[in-house]
Amino acid sequence: MRPRSLSGILFTLLAAAVLSACTSSSPPKVGAVPGASEYGGRFVYPLRTEPATLNFVTASDQPADLVSRLVGDSLVDRDVDLNVVPRLAESWEFSGAGRVLTFHLRPGVRFHDGHPLTSADVKYTYERVIDPKNHALGRLDGFLPVESLETPDDRTVRVVYRFPYAPALSAWEMPILPRHLYEKEDFLTSRFNRAPIGSGPFRFVSWEPGRRIVLASNPDYWGGRPYVDTLELQFIPTQETTLMALLAGEIDYASLTPVQWDAYTRDPAFTRRFATVSYLSLFFYYIAWRADGSNPFFSDPEVRRAMALALDREEYVRAVLHGLGQVSSSLFHPAILPADPESRPLRHDPQAAAALLDHAGWRLDPETGLRRKNGAPFRFTLLIFSGGEDHAQFSQVAQESLRRLGIDMRIERLDWPALWARLQKGDFEAALSGTVPAGDPDDVVYGMLHSSQIRGGRNYAGFHDPEIDAWLEEGRRAIDPQARSACYRRIAKRVEELQPYTYLFFPKVLAALSRRVTGVAPSPRGLIVQYPGVIRLKIRQQPGG
Amino acid sequence: MIAFLVRRVLSSVPTLVGISLLTFAVLNLLPNDPIQVWSGGGYYSAEAVEHLRSELRLQQGPAARYASWGLALLRGDLGRSMRDGRPVARVIASALPWTLLLNLCSVILIYGVAVPFGLFGASSPGSIADRLGRALLILLYAVPSFAAALLLQQWFAVRLGWLPLQGVPDRAATAAGTTVALARHLLLPTVCLALSGWALVARYARAAFRSALGREFLAVARAKGLSRLRASGHVVANTAVPFITLLATIVPGLAGGSVIVEQIFSLPGVGRLYLTSIEARDYPVVVGLTLLSAVLVLAGHLLVDVLYLVVDPRIRSGLLDESTDAA
Repeated sequence: MRPRSLSGILFTLLAAAVLSACTSSSPPKVGAVPGASEYGGRFVYPLRTEPATLNFVTASDQPADLVSRLVGDSLVDRDVDLNVVPRLAESWEFSGAGRVLTFHLRPGVRFHDGHPLTSADVKYTYERVIDPKNHALGRLDGFLPVESLETPDDRTVRVVYRFPYAPALSAWEMPILPRHLYEKEDFLTSRFNRAPIGSGPFRFVSWEPGRRIVLASNPDYWGGRPYVDTLELQFIPTQETTLMALLAGEIDYASLTPVQWDAYTRDPAFTRRFATVSYLSLFFYYIAWRADGSNPFFSDPEVRRAMALALDREEYVRAVLHGLGQVSSSLFHPAILPADPESRPLRHDPQAAAALLDHAGWRLDPETGLRRKNGAPFRFTLLIFSGGEDHAQFSQVAQESLRRLGIDMRIERLDWPALWARLQKGDFEAALSGTVPAGDPDDVVYGMLHSSQIRGGRNYAGFHDPEIDAWLEEGRRAIDPQARSACYRRIAKRVEELQPYTYLFFPKVLAALSRRVTGVAPSPRGLIVQYPGVIRLKIRQQPGG
Repeated sequence: MIAFLVRRVLSSVPTLVGISLLTFAVLNLLPNDPIQVWSGGGYYSAEAVEHLRSELRLQQGPAARYASWGLALLRGDLGRSMRDGRPVARVIASALPWTLLLNLCSVILIYGVAVPFGLFGASSPGSIADRLGRALLILLYAVPSFAAALLLQQWFAVRLGWLPLQGVPDRAATAAGTTVALARHLLLPTVCLALSGWALVARYARAAFRSALGREFLAVARAKGLSRLRASGHVVANTAVPFITLLATIVPGLAGGSVIVEQIFSLPGVGRLYLTSIEARDYPVVVGLTLLSAVLVLAGHLLVDVLYLVVDPRIRSGLLDESTDAA
């Protein structure tokens, strides 16, 4: 897959998202004009970047994921509130003390070419993921703990895990490939990678490079024919053009910046034509403090706590994001794990930060105004991503807050492949980055915190804490949801104390949606990345709507 | 003449090899890791990376990659895009027509407006109209193309709704319909690209025409009773050389693509392809595009040299003498 920038991730996420519980103008009304057919119409949706491939297994960028979920069909999916819901699997059950997961497939499901979908296709898709030749890096995680996969009959898939594996279902959000078609072709260069055939609610129609991908509703979809006839995904590379295309009526959805949000939500001419929506996305920003002793600052948890107290995250959200964001009070998005009422998140407190730094031995040198310890000045470099203005803005605000405390923070801007390489090697002191968890509390958190992930994984901070390691493992094996939640609450609390990463904030996704569009439900993952979501979307068949 | 051409073509081969090597080297100096490419920027674990270790070992080093790429090129194969696996030639071929069409239109628009403008300025130098016109063109030249693009979009597509905002049209039922739709879509980006060219070419034309109009031979020709029309034919012939020189800069630009205009108007052209390929470190496509523009630069110069020979007997005798000397 292509290297993707952080802002790319964020932008696609922004673009992938529609409607929220916290709409600021009245949400679009469900229901069409009386007498008019509820079916029909075209929904035009902008994508900032183009997918590299539409192979469900090797696809790892967000536009490809979006298309895969529409053309393909997975065993399970997540609903508006991120609960796991059935899709191709009618039902499933855990047995064998949580080691065996059995799926029962829906009867009579067919691929778009008419060929029936069976458990053999599920097995085939799984085997393509674990075949190293296919480099399906993003899909591998949930399948590596699988010991064996059996298909006792056409409609049953039995997955045996090497140990009880609580996050197991997440991996099965993977769309199922048609074995009968791929088997005859080279997997990585197959023509179906650019013209996919699945069993999902939309059929693939065309992909015009640099221009658009067109999908048409699948009238035979087992879950019912989608209301919209045509779904057009247009590639519009810039944010400004996307917004103007919405204003010109060429597309039905556009994300907005906080400044645009402020301007347009007050404009009655705009709100007459468009519903404005905002919600908290799963994407969050964090700073990783390299805590492996390679620098004299951040292996000390007191210093890391002082940094968290020094950063004025609230002020940043208020002034720069125009209040359109939320300072993280835990490492979990509220939709993934509701905030712990007993937690006391660190808030901006420069005096407490100064006291902690003094206590840690970093004393202010009155001559230079810098803190020093054993003669060494408190001077470090924060790596940031060069492609996002928000990254630069936040780091400048942070730089000023730290300067007042006698800390000299330099900022180094890198493009995403370069930043990624430095993070991967641990070749940094502090780095500002961001990520999107998928829905299970284990996701992202295990990778960022478990000590096994320091080399080769995503534990960029080089953080190692035996207690957190043990709880992360417990969280993976605990099948009981209550015990699991308790486990992740403990992790959240200890991370708040130790601050290997300082979680900054969740920016709100801000968007405008044509009032022609009705019937959509909100989700933290967006309009399309949820189920049934876009199947229920309707276009009002009345001119001037 | 033939010997001269062969010599010119052969001398460009080392240049092309050098350009491909340089492009390759620069791209390989940038941080680039297959794990990062495969992850798509998303989440993965240390265990997943370990699982793919056998594949990582198969990855070739830069020198081996250049060698296999070069060998393929000798067979006329530009390789496959690392990003989406399509043949590079096909990837470029899908973007090239848009850029060619857009740039050709803008060159026509630039010359169509600027040359008459220059001629007018040259025939009445220093008049108020001449001064105002020049000031206007300089002003347009100074507007950054992204600002011009956004303003044009705001007015003609959003407020007035006369023209489509962005993208390229569907194929219409009739050829005429397709042409009209295409013209409507390309009008704003073409104007946007022409804005900065007008001032440049108009100044060029004005200076060239002025010097030609002031030349003695014209007065002599007119005095000998040549009609105004036939005399102006002499003017054009005498100003041809500088315009041909200008052509050398225009030909490679035709396929070069404009990143900003293509981005803002969502045109699937070469400029946008360049940008996304560099971001993805998709070196087969980047090297392919670089080679294409290198070939065009060299071809542009060759074309100009040949045209010089055609239009100017003085240059013709000079160059051919030199080439017979060398032989």
